[in-house]
Amino acid sequence: MANAKISLTINGRAVSAEVDTRTLLVHFIREHVKLTGTHVGCDTTQCGACTVHVNGTRIKSCTMFACQLEGAQVTTIEGLAKGKQLHPMQEAFREHHGLQCGYCTPGMVMSAIGIAERYKGKALTEDIVRHELEGNLCRCTGYHNIVRAVIAGAKAMSAG
Amino acid sequence: MYVGQPIRRREDFRFLTGRGTFVDDVQLTQPILHAAFVRSPHAHARIKAIRTDAARKMPGVHTVLTGADWLKAGYGEAEGVWPVNDRSGKPARTVNRPFICVDNMVRCVGEIVAMVVADDRHQALDACEAIEVDYEALPANVVTAKALDKGTPLVHPKFGTNEVLESYHGNPEVVEAGFKKAHHITKLEVPTNRVTASPIEPRAYMGHYDVMNDRYTVWTTAQAPHIVRQYFTKSLRIDEHKLRVIAPDVGGGFGMKLYHYPEEPLALWGAIVTEHPVKWTGTRSECLMGDTHARDHYTVGEMAFDKDGKILAMRFKTLAAFGAYESQWQASITNAYHFTMLSLAYDIPGIFTEVKGVYTNCTPVDAYRGAGRPETVYQVERLIENGAKEMGMDPFVLREKNAIRPEKIPYTTAIGITYDSGDPPELFRKMRVLAKYDALREEQKKLHAQGICMGIGICGFFDMAGAGPVKMMNDLGAKIGCYDVASVRVHPSGKVTVFAGSHSHGQAHATTWTQIAADRLGIDIEEIDLVEGDTDRVPFGIGTWGSRSLSTAGMAVVAACDRVIEKAKKLAAHMLECAPSDLVIENGQFIVKGTDKKIAFAEVTNAAYHSGDRPKGLEIGLEETAFYDPTDCTYPSAVHLCVVIVDPETGRVTLRDYFAVDDVGRVINPMVFEGQVHGGCAQGIGQALMEECAYDPSSGQYLSGTFMDYAIPHSTDIPSFGIESHTTLTPSNPLGAKGGGESGTIGAPACIANGVIDAIWHLGVRQISQPMTPKKIWHALQSAKAGR
Ligand code: FES
Ligand code: FES
Repeated sequence: MANAKISLTINGRAVSAEVDTRTLLVHFIREHVKLTGTHVGCDTTQCGACTVHVNGTRIKSCTMFACQLEGAQVTTIEGLAKGKQLHPMQEAFREHHGLQCGYCTPGMVMSAIGIAERYKGKALTEDIVRHELEGNLCRCTGYHNIVRAVIAGAKAMSAG
Repeated sequence: MYVGQPIRRREDFRFLTGRGTFVDDVQLTQPILHAAFVRSPHAHARIKAIRTDAARKMPGVHTVLTGADWLKAGYGEAEGVWPVNDRSGKPARTVNRPFICVDNMVRCVGEIVAMVVADDRHQALDACEAIEVDYEALPANVVTAKALDKGTPLVHPKFGTNEVLESYHGNPEVVEAGFKKAHHITKLEVPTNRVTASPIEPRAYMGHYDVMNDRYTVWTTAQAPHIVRQYFTKSLRIDEHKLRVIAPDVGGGFGMKLYHYPEEPLALWGAIVTEHPVKWTGTRSECLMGDTHARDHYTVGEMAFDKDGKILAMRFKTLAAFGAYESQWQASITNAYHFTMLSLAYDIPGIFTEVKGVYTNCTPVDAYRGAGRPETVYQVERLIENGAKEMGMDPFVLREKNAIRPEKIPYTTAIGITYDSGDPPELFRKMRVLAKYDALREEQKKLHAQGICMGIGICGFFDMAGAGPVKMMNDLGAKIGCYDVASVRVHPSGKVTVFAGSHSHGQAHATTWTQIAADRLGIDIEEIDLVEGDTDRVPFGIGTWGSRSLSTAGMAVVAACDRVIEKAKKLAAHMLECAPSDLVIENGQFIVKGTDKKIAFAEVTNAAYHSGDRPKGLEIGLEETAFYDPTDCTYPSAVHLCVVIVDPETGRVTLRDYFAVDDVGRVINPMVFEGQVHGGCAQGIGQALMEECAYDPSSGQYLSGTFMDYAIPHSTDIPSFGIESHTTLTPSNPLGAKGGGESGTIGAPACIANGVIDAIWHLGVRQISQPMTPKKIWHALQSAKAGR
């Protein structure tokens, strides 16, 4: 199988590697860079557990090959908190009990931040959040508290 | 007091920052090899040849193993921990789910035929492609309702039938009499659809064999690690003291992660053969195909009412699908949880049910959140709903009329189960207020007049939670003791580690168990940590399932803490020169009642380890273990109500509101409890409206292999919930707590189905099987129209 050389930035750190061209971004992040917070929950881009930010946009990292990412800026769930200081969206998930098993959570939080940034300056309603979160599956929470967390987190982000 | 407070979860930090450790995240110093499997593409086939030579020569391949190698190694079977009984006296026709095909017959899609272990995932998959298997496809039986029909292909021909077992329960004489004097009889076909738990974390296993020390380690996505260790004594015949089972963070289980799945021993087998750690992480398709499926009951029932709407009797016939083999806990459904709860929240004099377990060429069925009770509530509540409508009575009022009066509790049902606490009429009363029921009916009238099909769904039930006591569960078929275990280790500094035999896979034990311990020990919650999920660290445990952890492991924490305090008080009394009974413990201090004499908890705990000045005979150290066997199951109860809008043009259902009033006794953390209800309801809503493990009836091919084909609810499918509680304490444990994990999945399918039928009853629709997809609803509306 063909290999490719790539250099990119993950959570502010430069990373270079040689990868099998079949390697998905999510596997690259998990297995080569050993950042295991980004999860895999499906084979068909339905679940969103693998959501990261690439050049500032939320994206399901199972939909890209690592070798497409030359020069990209990637942020994963590990890149949000500063030490023990949680990002306002992480804090909102904690405050509103937006997670149970925690498996969908990294993808949910990355997706939620994407929503907050997209709707910056506009009021987030429950309808908007539910619609925007459609690509992120959670089997534990029934979404009730996640929706509340996203609204509160977005508010906190715009205040901060 | 910590108990009763919505304390924010102590486990959240690691999950929110991506620092959780799930099985697939575990890193080792040695390189980890990957396993991949060749699986049967047929529902039923004879294997004529397996050619592995080419695969063995592929790059990176360490070994290729088949059923022949398994037999050569002398390994065993996946024996049931809850095997089925046939109550009619005939032996149950048990065939355990094989780990790998050993008899050249495959009986469901996805059955494992060969395993490849290679350096990486791609190499293992490539080598699987290179394995050639010659199959002779055979006719398959995948329709539960037809499993016992003449001419249906036999899954295990040696039995001459697809019937696994037959059982009967109830009081048939009372039922006969009830039907004889009935004013009205309602009859319905009430099948429950085949679904699967589908936690977002796929199953994953890693095995490691340390040759030098002759020690095995398995990392597993399991809800009950000690039970996994027990399974291995049968499968790979590994002695328990040689095997460490670690279930790290587990990403949801819902009952489905309780079983000894084929990939679990196979991963460790691969590790033994290659002398390297071997890992398998399921793809979603492998999981949707191979995770145990659930429900899949074909039931017909009838219900007899008197002229006032009192239920006199009901009877059912059920074919309960087993799938191709018996999974290890099957009978927790068939023999324990399904028939037992048929009376729901109602005072019903006569109940009779006949259940036949049947083999089909489908994935094995086992427990999934609710296990048997969603089926029960659905079959009874659909009859109640249609009966009320046929008799022209308000379905809410009819239910209230039949609800078990509080003065009748403890109430023994016609099946013989005794509800120890509860107040169903009060749950209905609270629901009437919470949902504004009378206003909803008014609104419905108006909307129907405008051609908008609004429906109100209702159900009420009791649940049997908290499996234990040991004897009762043994009598219901369990071969494992249903108790649980906790150790409380007080360190010399006064800090505490609690070890529990439960295993949180989303239930927040790190928060709730420490809330309990902090109150019991009178110290700050931050001074207590919890350890679960490791057989080398936790003494023993039966694990987390069946809404049991609080009333078993949680109570073991209570018992162990109480023993610690009893001992510590003896020492503190010695140090303060008083009697132990003079002491109270508060804010980390032992205080002599009515005085200002006191001593810090940490001073006493330090003395417990390091001081020779102690009461005579008092053993050094401060650590206690409790094996807690509850006196009874717990019987939580609930009433659910939903409001749906059905679009008659498209058959699409919009779920507008969902309400639940639950009685789960003492709540440790209301935030966590409500989260359990939300999540459970969403799963039940999924079962009612969209989820189905579908098989093509002619080829037996599995049709639900991805999240595109198996629809679990998205955020847009679920409304916000309105939740309330009513508390009656159970006398069966010191905190009065009842299990709260399953109410949602148990109630929602019936509740939603009743709502949808209520929305289109006036258009002539009487029943639609679940999942109630737009297509099915549209067809039902068309045939109702044609029939009029
Ligand atoms: S793993 Fe990427 S969407 Fe499911
Ligand atoms: S918290 Fe478990 S899947 Fe969302």
